[in-house]
Amino acid sequence: MATLDSCGSPDHQLIRFIPDEDLVPGIATWKPSLCTMCGAGCGLLVRVMQGEAEVVHNGQNGLVQMGLAKKLEGNPNHPVNLGKLCARGQAGLQVLYHPDRLRNPLKRTGARGSGQFQEVTWDAALGELLAQLSALRTSDAGALAFLSRPLQGQRRELVERFLKSFGAPPAIAYEPLDEAVLRQANLLSFGHSQLPTLDLARADYLLSFGADFLGTWNSPVSQSIGYGEMRQGRPGRRGRFAQIESRMSQTGANADEWIPCRPGTEGVLALGIANVILQDKEFVHDAHSRPASLIAGWSDGLPDFTPEMVEKQTGVSAAAIARLAHDLTHSGLGAVIIGGPPLAHTNGLFNALAVNALESLVDAARNQPALLSFTPAVPFASAAAPSAKGPQSSFAAINALSQSVLSGAAHEPKVLLLDNANPVFSAPPATRMPEAIAKIPYVASFGSFIDETSVWADLVLPDHAPLESWLDDVPAAGAVSMVAGLAPPAVRPLHNTRAMPDVILDLGHQLGGSVAAALPWKTYDEMLQAAFLPLRKHPGSIDAKDDDEFWSKVQQQGGWWSVPAANGAAGRAAANAGSGSAAPAAPAAPPGARAAAKFAEPQFDGAPNDFPFYFLPYASQALGDGSLAHLPWLQEMPDVLTTAMWSSWVELNPQTAERLKILPGELVEITSQHGSVRAPAVLSPGIAPDLVAMPIGQGHINFGRYASHRGANPLAILAPLTEAETGSLAWAATRVKLARVGGVDQANLILYAGGMSGFPHEEEPHR
Amino acid sequence: MPHKWAMVIDLDRCTGCEACVVACHAENNIPTAGEDQAARGRTKHWIRVERYWEGEFPNARIRFQPVLCQQCDAAPCEPVCPTYASYHTSEGLNAQVYNRCVGTRFCANACPYNVRFFNFYNPVWEKPLNLQLNPDVSVREVGIMEKCTFCVQRIHGAEIQAEAEKRELKDGEFNPACVQSCSPKAMVFGDLNDPASEVSRLAKSGRNTKLLGELGTLPNVNYLERNS
Repeated sequence: MATLDSCGSPDHQLIRFIPDEDLVPGIATWKPSLCTMCGAGCGLLVRVMQGEAEVVHNGQNGLVQMGLAKKLEGNPNHPVNLGKLCARGQAGLQVLYHPDRLRNPLKRTGARGSGQFQEVTWDAALGELLAQLSALRTSDAGALAFLSRPLQGQRRELVERFLKSFGAPPAIAYEPLDEAVLRQANLLSFGHSQLPTLDLARADYLLSFGADFLGTWNSPVSQSIGYGEMRQGRPGRRGRFAQIESRMSQTGANADEWIPCRPGTEGVLALGIANVILQDKEFVHDAHSRPASLIAGWSDGLPDFTPEMVEKQTGVSAAAIARLAHDLTHSGLGAVIIGGPPLAHTNGLFNALAVNALESLVDAARNQPALLSFTPAVPFASAAAPSAKGPQSSFAAINALSQSVLSGAAHEPKVLLLDNANPVFSAPPATRMPEAIAKIPYVASFGSFIDETSVWADLVLPDHAPLESWLDDVPAAGAVSMVAGLAPPAVRPLHNTRAMPDVILDLGHQLGGSVAAALPWKTYDEMLQAAFLPLRKHPGSIDAKDDDEFWSKVQQQGGWWSVPAANGAAGRAAANAGSGSAAPAAPAAPPGARAAAKFAEPQFDGAPNDFPFYFLPYASQALGDGSLAHLPWLQEMPDVLTTAMWSSWVELNPQTAERLKILPGELVEITSQHGSVRAPAVLSPGIAPDLVAMPIGQGHINFGRYASHRGANPLAILAPLTEAETGSLAWAATRVKLARVGGVDQANLILYAGGMSGFPHEEEPHR
Repeated sequence: MPHKWAMVIDLDRCTGCEACVVACHAENNIPTAGEDQAARGRTKHWIRVERYWEGEFPNARIRFQPVLCQQCDAAPCEPVCPTYASYHTSEGLNAQVYNRCVGTRFCANACPYNVRFFNFYNPVWEKPLNLQLNPDVSVREVGIMEKCTFCVQRIHGAEIQAEAEKRELKDGEFNPACVQSCSPKAMVFGDLNDPASEVSRLAKSGRNTKLLGELGTLPNVNYLERNS
């Protein structure tokens, strides 16, 4: 036997558990799920096959045959993504199988923030949290805070009910690049506190002010589907688009015309274009449209925005302004959108209102149906439908939290429940988030990973991965029908985790009294069922003879939508033409006594003499706002404009680099009044000489093995300037200075090596 | 008639989003190389999106072009292989038989498209990332070449299914992973021997070009040029 002992690896000595799933080896089944990698709410189909996983059952290591997710595809029936999926969505599998995902509840053993934890049982963990909550409820219930990324669907309803019945303030939704400015502008202009749905498949001309609609903005898959149709879906009729931005984005790279504009003056440019159209007697003008009435001077024909005056302010030539006005009004169906950097200035709301007014002018001038619409709300009985109230800015919320902790205000948070939000990484340094988190007496986290914020937790109650969870999501844009995505778990949990909503329900029941009464469901899927069943009486995608059949079909199809998803963009267009599309025609709530918006110069942090460059941090095509930096597929996806992988970089105009004697790949330091970061230089002809740009995503210090200690975080040097009306972070309003601090050997820029440049001809150098 | 698999990539639809790149990694068990190996040029991207800058600020333009194995009819990679690991299938694919390959890398030297990748080390998936591996696709070990297969496992799967159901394959009933994920439908896959297939129809476009077509490699990937 001694010889046999040396055979086989320890892996094979694990015991085998009896499988409790009925799967046929080698046969794939497809299960619906929902993508949670961004807020777009796309539908998934998960390819599930039998496999052998190492698991722990009752403290015993072993192997079990179970269904394993192998590949994600888009759900062809889902109205938002129609079977398609983006790169970030594809990488959702690596969240499920990430080696650094937390497998058990953890209790802190070392000092706060040290990252030293020990594994504990769920009973012990829940008992500890329950004791904290019970004590707090009797002493100071208002001192409970819940901080998360924006919660979707019934999760939000559940958390709000829990907090309200507990006596705590509402949950704080935090994401670094929120859309509060555009949602507020759309509420004022169009009566919808939402991002728009674009019908690009019918568009002949699109003018985009900074919106990265093919990359990271709004509902990129939905928009990319429409874009393909706009370009080549109609024989003989090719839609065109122009992009206004000072740093070429992935979207701008596809534009027919790419026009840099001085940062913060995009609204002025929009009004300059409007001025030209208003002077044109060819068109019947509706000067009293609701979006137009929000702009000072509109009814007088915008006399302060002649092309010549606008050229001085924006740097865009008067000829170009006239040409844009002509293209917008002489190219069939046109649309104007805004997103991204133009909103991230101190005057962002003005920029958005000006663009909205131009959009409605174009529609009125051409007497055309709007290509912009707003996805209708799903008639849920609860308050989980999109809020009709004005949007709340993430930055204002997180700053208020931090200030109340640091100043010791009444009801300062004493227990913080944390769910995947990571403000320690992404909030500007002036918010002093690390200090604030450290000062909160007790922090419990539901996150699946340790990150810069959850490392401060006293207790970690790891959630299931999304593919292991009951999911529901009501996309706020990307479809013209009502959409309520829903999916049961696609696979069984790999680790000893529990779904956050079920933990909340459990806690609520044990707290008893009004909290238990507010949460009448045993499990989260029971709550989902109760919310979805009333949809049966609305005409929609599901025809069922009773509630049971309806509920089972909702699960099979991955959700419910009000109009059966027709084929592709043509269906989207048809549905759009039929339903309440024309956005400006729906004045739900009048703007009221609001003073007409006037242009105010954008404010910047840092004097131009000391800090000569505008600084633009931008959402990375691969890593989003940084919350996806832990996924190796996305780290190794070459950035499409620079080919960089596993790296941070700084984009510079070649003229700027030459003047400062910076060579490609050399280490540069960017300094604002709030800090400095170092990264290698990438020279790009797609950026203005007075701007430097840097992708968001890297610079984590504590986010698993693939993201930690890699690159630099541009958010760490941002000034806390805010958009004047909404309080949203003006993340494009920081000025910086720039210096070379090291050679290529000190930088760590990894570029994709495998191009074809120079072979077999001497082509233009691959740069 | 046997199938002749081909692809059309409409560069006027391609947005450079790289969904194809990650979809390919997920489908084909392509390991990530990691920072150090990536710095040595050892990442494996069976499909990549090339980009070409034109002009200077403010008139800069950029063009994207997804590049994968062109599945050439006259493939330079095939005749140079001493072990017949690179060979031409009856359905027009440039196939790679992994267990014939001895790693001379002649094929990679011969390929003008730089779409063949050498395994410099044994692939590693840190547990439990290994649970994602596609059981329909071989994992390649150190010392051999690998390349895009047009997702041959999907081709075979669909062919076997159609045969079991005693029917012909339908155009578009299956797609390689890159094509399936492509949101703007820039990529279309199908049978060039079926004159009614979408790929046959699109290949007749006046915008059709072949990548380095002047080399006489007779690629089966067709690129439709941008209109502007």
